[in-house]
Amino acid sequence: MISLLLLVIGISTIMISPIFSDTQSEQKTFVTHSGSIVRTSGEIIDPLYTVSTVDFDPDEFLRNFEYGVISISETGQTIRDYTIIAEDDKIQEISPGVFYNVWTFNGTAPGPTIRATEGDLVRIHFINNGSKSHTMHFHGIHPAEMDGVFEIVGGGGGKFTYEFEAGPVGVHPYHCHVMPLEEHIVHGLYGVFIVDPKEGRVPADEMVMVLNGFDTDFDAENNFYAANTMPFYYQHHPIQINTDDLIRIYVVNMVEFDPINNFHLHGNLYQYYPTGTDLMPSFYTDMITLSQTERGIMEFQYHLPGKYLFHAHKVEFSEKGWVGLFLVKDNSESEVNYGN
Amino acid sequence: METNKKTSRGKIIASGIIPFVFIILMMAYIFGPGSDLLDLGIPLPELTIENIDFVKSEIHVTVRNTGPTSVQISMADVNDRIQPAAIEPDKFLERYETALVIIPFEWNEAEPYTIGLTTDDGVRFERQIDAAVTALQPNLEFVAFFAIIGTYVGIIPVMIGLLWLPFIKKISKNKYHFFLSLTTGLLLFLGIDSVKEAFDVSSENLSSSFNAELLIATTLVLSFLGLYYASEKLTGKADSLKISKPVAIGLMIAIGIGLHNFGEGLAIGAAIGLGSIAFSTFLIIGFALHNTTEGLAIATPMSRGKLMVGKLIILGIIAGSPAIFGGWVGGFAYSPFSAVIFFSIGAGAIFQVIVIILKWIREEGEKNLSSASVVSGFAIGMLIMYATSILI
Repeated sequence: MISLLLLVIGISTIMISPIFSDTQSEQKTFVTHSGSIVRTSGEIIDPLYTVSTVDFDPDEFLRNFEYGVISISETGQTIRDYTIIAEDDKIQEISPGVFYNVWTFNGTAPGPTIRATEGDLVRIHFINNGSKSHTMHFHGIHPAEMDGVFEIVGGGGGKFTYEFEAGPVGVHPYHCHVMPLEEHIVHGLYGVFIVDPKEGRVPADEMVMVLNGFDTDFDAENNFYAANTMPFYYQHHPIQINTDDLIRIYVVNMVEFDPINNFHLHGNLYQYYPTGTDLMPSFYTDMITLSQTERGIMEFQYHLPGKYLFHAHKVEFSEKGWVGLFLVKDNSESEVNYGN
Repeated sequence: METNKKTSRGKIIASGIIPFVFIILMMAYIFGPGSDLLDLGIPLPELTIENIDFVKSEIHVTVRNTGPTSVQISMADVNDRIQPAAIEPDKFLERYETALVIIPFEWNEAEPYTIGLTTDDGVRFERQIDAAVTALQPNLEFVAFFAIIGTYVGIIPVMIGLLWLPFIKKISKNKYHFFLSLTTGLLLFLGIDSVKEAFDVSSENLSSSFNAELLIATTLVLSFLGLYYASEKLTGKADSLKISKPVAIGLMIAIGIGLHNFGEGLAIGAAIGLGSIAFSTFLIIGFALHNTTEGLAIATPMSRGKLMVGKLIILGIIAGSPAIFGGWVGGFAYSPFSAVIFFSIGAGAIFQVIVIILKWIREEGEKNLSSASVVSGFAIGMLIMYATSILI
């Protein structure tokens, strides 16, 4: 009887404890990114609100282009040497508070944006410091033995030098091509390879956006989507641009599992160059649909200052992080300075 | 010899304690600092969403860490769409610790929602609600509402069942044995039903880390033993307590049924609280019909004493009113853990009552349980319960 009584008391305590657990000390008020107000004595879990230790800086990645170590051959050809190191043991905070084992080229997912001019000799000194085999497979034109499919580079310091002439003009992805391929791609072994036309493009404020996703619970569905890895990042840190500046975005879709992704721009339309291979735009639109590794170049200008959203119009993706803002500043007094 | 006695007692105590010392040493060796003996495998985190309340412009989610390690909750989502949220007291959950996640969300009445929580290693745990309804607040209106439902489900049917008493009083001994065993059949069905309910609730809502099957078995046996012991004392002391043996047995039956009805009240309260409103209407009608048989179960042993209307009513209330309390608990503070426990206690109580009635039949009758009236009564009791249970 006593044991029964104890049991009943124990149960009632367990039952009632959640009711009283929220009668805590002081209440704090938070305004979340969706504008709702929360009063709580606890903590806030909000991918936008929470400060994260940024292992990967989307702002830095956005306008960063790797031109390699430049030398000129005897025949006068420009040679660009790059060193790319693959690793597969890195734990990265891919959304505030969420940690995932990313596989990286040069320590980041996506890897560095490799940029060359059409006809340059590109030499990639690839070192695999991972525990698994990895390769680099470039989309573009190159010899069969430089394709990174059959030339498996073993982990623990395996080496291979990819050597080919940059081409064709455009924006291309590169990624690991070791089987199981999906696993190697979704862990983050991909990046962007830009080939500029010899005559160059019109100067512009240039940026790279890799549309990617992460399946953190391995159920073959992405838990997070983003432009440049960090969900909601550019919504929290708007990309600052100037009115009347020409904006050029190299956009590459690396999302796996979902058949399509897309890119919608607010308050404007863009000239779109599919794969960037043609110097004349194919569309003037505010919405393009991209399949796996489909990519292109967008060009646009804002004439009025303000905040403009850009996001996947597959709204599921935008509500899981693939959303951002352009903060357009009035350019009337500032000088145009393109940096690169 | 005082000293001799003392040393021998000391020896007994020491010999009892020494194995414990070795157990502690062994545990220290296996789990203690610097031991990597059991450092095998990867502990998988596990969260169990135990309760979801829809309040004005907010969704309140009660979550328990039911995994082997402590976890951090990093993100909440509604229908697989990331939502900002607050978490109280904080986002770090030790083993078995609970937290309340508050998601500001303009939800729509009667629509299904899936609530997901993601841990720091990116694993998402979810729970679906079939239809969102405003969570019940323990205000007077709902307290009264559950009291009325509890009265309909518990007290009134039991009282109606008690009205069979004059009929049972007038029948022959054989027929009386038939009704006693009919009661046993009814109770056996109720007991099995309670166990089934406990398993159903645990498989739907309770994390496997609670070892629900063994929890049910343990609780059932403890409840059986506790009540069995209590009832033996009660019937043994029946004379000195100035209550007759039939009343004592009736009282034990009433307590057993009362515990069962508490479980039923929980089920009804939880069904209303969790938004399955149509389901709860069926529950109420079904339980009401079903529970008239419980009145019969109490009336049968009582018919062998003097007719004591007052005591009968008290027993009816003991058996029926827990449905009201169950409704309150189920509606306002539902937890699958407590539901499983109460169903198990109820089952143990009922099995205990069955044993007492069988003993009573043996003592009353010709020391055998295989007469036609006993066997047919038992079988018909089960059949009646099955027939009325289809209504639920």
